[in-house]
Amino acid sequence: MTNNGSLTRYAPSVIGWIVLVSLPEWINAVGYTDLGSRVVILGLAAMALNFLLGHTGVLSFGHAAYFGLGAYGAGLTLRYLAPSTGLAILVGTGIGTFAAMLIGPLIIRLRGVYFAMVTIAFGQIFYFIAFRWNTVTGGDDGLTNWTRQPINLGFATIDLKDPVAFYYLTLVVFAVATAIMAKLLASPFGRSLLAIRENERRALFLGIPVNLRIWLSWTVSCGFVSIAGAMYALLNNFVDPRALHWSQSGTFVIMAVLGGMRSFWGPLIGSAIYVVLQDYLSSRTSNWMSLVGLVFVLVVLFFPRGVLGMLGRRSAT
Amino acid sequence: MTLLKVENLTKRFGSLIAVADVSMVVEPGEIRAVIGPNGAGKTTFFNMISGFLTPSTGRILFDGKDISRVPASQRVKIGMARTFQITEVFPELTVRDNLQIAVEASAGYGLSVILNEEAREEVHADVSELLELSGLTDRADRLVGELSHGDQRTAEIMMALALKPRLLLLDEPTAGMGDQETFDIAKLIRKLHRQQNLSIVLIEHDMRIVFNLADRIMVLAEGRMLAEGTPKDIAANEAVQKAYLGTAG
Amino acid sequence: MTQLILFNLFNGLIVGAFYALMALGLSLIMNLTGVINFAHGGFLALGGYLAYTLIPYVGFWGALLVAPVLTAFLGLIVERFLIRRLYGHDPLYSLLLTFGLAFIIEDGTRYIWGAQAVPYEVPAALTTPLSSDYFFLTGYRLFMVALAAISVIALFVILKWTRLGMRIRAGTLDLETVSVLGVNTAILRNLNFGLGIYLAGLAGVLAAGQLGVEPTIGSSLIMPSFVSIIVGGLGSLPGTLLGGLTIGVASSLTSVFFPSATEAVMYVIMALVLLVRPRGLFGQEGRF
Repeated sequence: MTNNGSLTRYAPSVIGWIVLVSLPEWINAVGYTDLGSRVVILGLAAMALNFLLGHTGVLSFGHAAYFGLGAYGAGLTLRYLAPSTGLAILVGTGIGTFAAMLIGPLIIRLRGVYFAMVTIAFGQIFYFIAFRWNTVTGGDDGLTNWTRQPINLGFATIDLKDPVAFYYLTLVVFAVATAIMAKLLASPFGRSLLAIRENERRALFLGIPVNLRIWLSWTVSCGFVSIAGAMYALLNNFVDPRALHWSQSGTFVIMAVLGGMRSFWGPLIGSAIYVVLQDYLSSRTSNWMSLVGLVFVLVVLFFPRGVLGMLGRRSAT
Repeated sequence: MTLLKVENLTKRFGSLIAVADVSMVVEPGEIRAVIGPNGAGKTTFFNMISGFLTPSTGRILFDGKDISRVPASQRVKIGMARTFQITEVFPELTVRDNLQIAVEASAGYGLSVILNEEAREEVHADVSELLELSGLTDRADRLVGELSHGDQRTAEIMMALALKPRLLLLDEPTAGMGDQETFDIAKLIRKLHRQQNLSIVLIEHDMRIVFNLADRIMVLAEGRMLAEGTPKDIAANEAVQKAYLGTAG
Repeated sequence: MTQLILFNLFNGLIVGAFYALMALGLSLIMNLTGVINFAHGGFLALGGYLAYTLIPYVGFWGALLVAPVLTAFLGLIVERFLIRRLYGHDPLYSLLLTFGLAFIIEDGTRYIWGAQAVPYEVPAALTTPLSSDYFFLTGYRLFMVALAAISVIALFVILKWTRLGMRIRAGTLDLETVSVLGVNTAILRNLNFGLGIYLAGLAGVLAAGQLGVEPTIGSSLIMPSFVSIIVGGLGSLPGTLLGGLTIGVASSLTSVFFPSATEAVMYVIMALVLLVRPRGLFGQEGRF
């Protein structure tokens, strides 16, 4: 019974990791390794958003700002500061996290749609900075003239020019980031966040300082989203202001919902579906934007619990 | 020494006076019932004591310290816990998780990511003890939202108890329950009171519960205190009968 | 210099009037139903395009009357068949739905009317400057400000004195009670949504004459409307009005002295307001 239980419990994760690790083997043949990297990176972003949305119960529609800050942080580091991929990731993450920490106190007293609206609006500040500060960011044309650099581990050097090598770097970052998120969620701290999601009033009357916790959850969530942003910049060797735009935030939210907000891995599934669908649609028609919009509408009307949410419900009954 | 002292508490909402000039003293180990017809201001009174609302005027002293303006989460730390008229639990989590969150919050582990072995075992033991005490052990791994109304209420009371309060505030603990469930909750309250040396203030509509449990009763009507005394005094009080018992019966 | 400042002050007032019209519609919908209508900008664009299409048939003045009504009608349909299903659910879902709609509308307008801005004919009588010193005071600009002002006044009159308006206000405070009193809340929410979209359509027609219409006009005007609401305070229509005018004028004046901060200034104002008053200038404790 216990054996069986732990088998069914761990089997999906084990299979998931096998798929992720072996991905280049079967995707490389058709030249889609970068698409795999995109799924993993945007999946990390959606999981990071879901730390706040699905596990703390707070709706942010402004996560693209911190994703974009991570991306610009990484890009600017490589362009102006030093030819180091590791430093680029660190700087990107640091900038995104720090910005979120500063914005936090202004918004944590708000809830629901009000919170969502204010996060969107604040996100646009960074969009306009990137858009307007031509001389440094390249403005609307984006930040170019830089590439990701080989990583020197001392005993070996990894050349990241190869998409497969970069995919594995992405996967390592993803693994570390999700391990930390999982650890946080399974801890007393994580349970206090779940408590807020479930019932804020009860949480408050258990003596949990709700606003402070939301600030922490927001900062952690934005921190991980900025790691994803940094990786996204490295993937494309390019950043432009669209990475910071509020419509990008919307895609993170729809990924989380599409995969299943209540589950830890759901947003990754959502990212896989969304990225593949978008890639396919945009290669087929110039009106892919309405089709993506249609996906939003259909998900809301027919899949509100997401793929994993539906599966979970079926196995529960 | 007096545990809770409420002095001339008043709450106004605009021109409406919900609670007017009410005072109350609760001694350690006492069970105090607050009764009154609907709209008498009981819940508003309660919300001020627990820190959900700030009083317009008047003072609340806990252990001799003025806590009138202390935020709710701080009042929990000095030994006050409450339940709500409409059960407030974490419905999509298991009974065990509900209690564990309460125990961890009470122990101040809310910011911890890694607990040492000792702390983990302590939390585990506390949770098991609460489950045992409430008789919910066999339902520990079910989602609270799926339990019966009475079991949900029991879980809520145990979460409050996990905070190791000295004063437990219960807002209509048997509201919306059948006879059997009402009886079970009353039994639980009595058991907890005896074992944990708690002081309890409860709002209640069910007179059987009130007269069975309470050491003293306070009657509110239209925001004012109408009477206060032992169950015997209250049962004999003519004003109370006229304003409340008569119409309720 | 004075002329330049006056010019931008006046421009800011016009832009602010757009923001305010748009934000008032958003606010109406949000206050009653808790829905943030992301597609509001899309409806604004539709208003402009419908007017553009109608002008050859009904003329400028006819289009001004008809286009917003048609837009509102589309709004009624969207509410009836899509948004209505989501009341009482997590606000996340209506947000995502209208977000998707915004994509569809923007792409749809591009498909029908093309990606380039379309020219929009305003009667010559309205375009000639009224004074050679103040070249910017064209009839159309004055007309826009006047019409926006009249619309806002009409909105407040409707809310204050008509039966529909009183019900909307009562429903905003407590929809359940209103429903118990025998008001059909489904119709109430539907009409309220239509009213909000009417304002977006009207703003679209006016904006078309001033800026021309292009598919992205909606997504570029929606953010300032959000900021107007946040600055003014959620739940307060007068606050929203003030918020819109304030950020319109502020952006416009900033463009004189510090052009690169034109867009950013409204967010700075928002941050400052939130620092001092977390619920906005006229926001009330408790709601949202």
